[in-house]
Amino acid sequence: MRGRRPSLFWAACAVAGAVLIAFVVLPAASMIVGAGAGFLGEALRQGDIRRSLWLTVSAALIATAIAFVVGVPLAYLLARRDFVGKRAIEGIIDLPIVFPHTAAGIALLTVYGREGVIGRLLAPFGISFTETVAGIVLAMLFVSLPYLVDTARETFALVDERYEHVARTLGSSPGGAFLRVTFPQAWRGVLSGAVLMWGRGISEFGAVVILAYNPKVISVLTFELFEGFGLRAAQPPAVLIVIVAFVVFLVARTVLLPRRGRSGKGSA
Amino acid sequence: MIGLRGVEVVAGGFSVGALDLDVPAGDYAVLLGPSGAGKTLVLEAVAGVRPVRGGAVLIRGEDVTRMPAERRGVGLVFQDGLLFPHLTVARNIAYGLGAAWSASPGRRRRALRPQVARLAAETGVVDLLERRPATLSGGERQRVALARALAAGPRVLLLDEPLSAVDADAREGLQDLLRRLNVDEGLTVLHVTHDLGEAFAVGGLFAVLVAGRLQQVGAPNDVLRRPATVEVARFTGARNVFEVRPVPGDSSRLALAPSGFLRISSPAPAGVRHAVVRADDITVAPEARPRVDEGAAYLTGRVRRVVCAGATSVVEVDVPPLFRVAVAARELEALAIEQGGAVRLRVPATAVHVV
Repeated sequence: MRGRRPSLFWAACAVAGAVLIAFVVLPAASMIVGAGAGFLGEALRQGDIRRSLWLTVSAALIATAIAFVVGVPLAYLLARRDFVGKRAIEGIIDLPIVFPHTAAGIALLTVYGREGVIGRLLAPFGISFTETVAGIVLAMLFVSLPYLVDTARETFALVDERYEHVARTLGSSPGGAFLRVTFPQAWRGVLSGAVLMWGRGISEFGAVVILAYNPKVISVLTFELFEGFGLRAAQPPAVLIVIVAFVVFLVARTVLLPRRGRSGKGSA
Repeated sequence: MIGLRGVEVVAGGFSVGALDLDVPAGDYAVLLGPSGAGKTLVLEAVAGVRPVRGGAVLIRGEDVTRMPAERRGVGLVFQDGLLFPHLTVARNIAYGLGAAWSASPGRRRRALRPQVARLAAETGVVDLLERRPATLSGGERQRVALARALAAGPRVLLLDEPLSAVDADAREGLQDLLRRLNVDEGLTVLHVTHDLGEAFAVGGLFAVLVAGRLQQVGAPNDVLRRPATVEVARFTGARNVFEVRPVPGDSSRLALAPSGFLRISSPAPAGVRHAVVRADDITVAPEARPRVDEGAAYLTGRVRRVVCAGATSVVEVDVPPLFRVAVAARELEALAIEQGGAVRLRVPATAVHVV
């Protein structure tokens, strides 16, 4: 019966993991408890918090959609082809991860701000990235796109390229093979990357606040309430966004991504 | 039907070619060689999924070197079947009938159903149509992969180690199916394998690829009995490959290194450096037995060891050089051969092939 005893090794892993889980859960739980029992209703009754929540969620969603359209093809290209400068491009994609986010905001401002190269070009068409929803989307897109591109690239790389070879000999074009054979096997991984990107987007503060203090996303509103009215006032929006993010992640991991971690390939 | 004209393929630091090969229409050719020889690269180049660095690929006499894979009219089957895991068996087969099966409306799906059923019947997978690939055995997966490849109506079938991941029972059935497709459907087949037994079971034309170079093309028995190079000899299981040199003034013998002679049935061409003798062409007997003919070389040596391998054992005899002799297990017992014992080898002149 020796084999049935829990091994010391696995017990040590579980203890180490428990420490980490507690480290994450404690501040969130403390914040929720500190907010009081009626915080949710109270928070949702406040129009500015409701608007801010919707703005945050939708701006992050738009940023994710944009990254999906332009980032997934790039991820596929990086997964399948070797070319000069590929490592440099991978490094550029990852750059926003190491960029201080306020610096990212300033960098974006120099290009997309009123005096920036692209900002000046688009101004005559009424498109502005400062103090607008477009600026918020831009900031979120910049800081969070590596999460989608990297995850999608790794997922595509796990799908055996020979599936595409077979599909080609069966009459599919390269695009057809991607859409009918590769993507259906990789979509769970790509979606996982999208959820991660969206989650990173809703939490962004530094880059957003430089480009668009207004309209206020939830992180900026929380900061403003904390600065103006103290901890108690800042807790409802903070708790609200944590709960929304937690629910989305939970649904994504349990319903949409049931096989993640088992197949390792995101295959259907 | 399949023609390679100076084809060169490069993958990473490895290059194959330049290759010249012709597989006539309706033939079953086997491209065989050890692992890492570049066989799959050649297959992929013919399929059009890997670019060639030089030369031309011809299919049905047409230069298809720059033609995309989807227009070449070839079917491709890999070792593990590579069925699309997100589709049922029926939809895998239907993929080749029209890539839009999965998105097509019910009417179109119903229209394709008889064709799927016909292909399933032809390959023996009728009962599997609603199954998912993950639930199939290796042999079933290969049958479905063949059905899917046939669905696109190819005239050329490219097979990459199609029997390697299949158990012995299923293997025989698949070999029969492949031969039937070749004969009945008139398909030209290029079958890649490293397994000599598999190659003999299916192939009509052998092309031996070693280290990216095509060493020999010919009938199976020619390749086996008359290997063109030392590499082919070793790959085809010749256990005795010796360095030799001509004997001045005696065209019927070759000198072995370090000592001894081999008889040859016809004068060796100039430049010959090696002699190849298959282990089952040599006979071994206790040293005391007398010579019986002049059409063979007789060499004495000591048994280094006896390696049992089922019905046949290999007796290693240090002459030197070291000879390996295949002996049936029953015969071995009768000969009372023991490790360290002195024996005499008989090497017929007709069994000595020079390279």
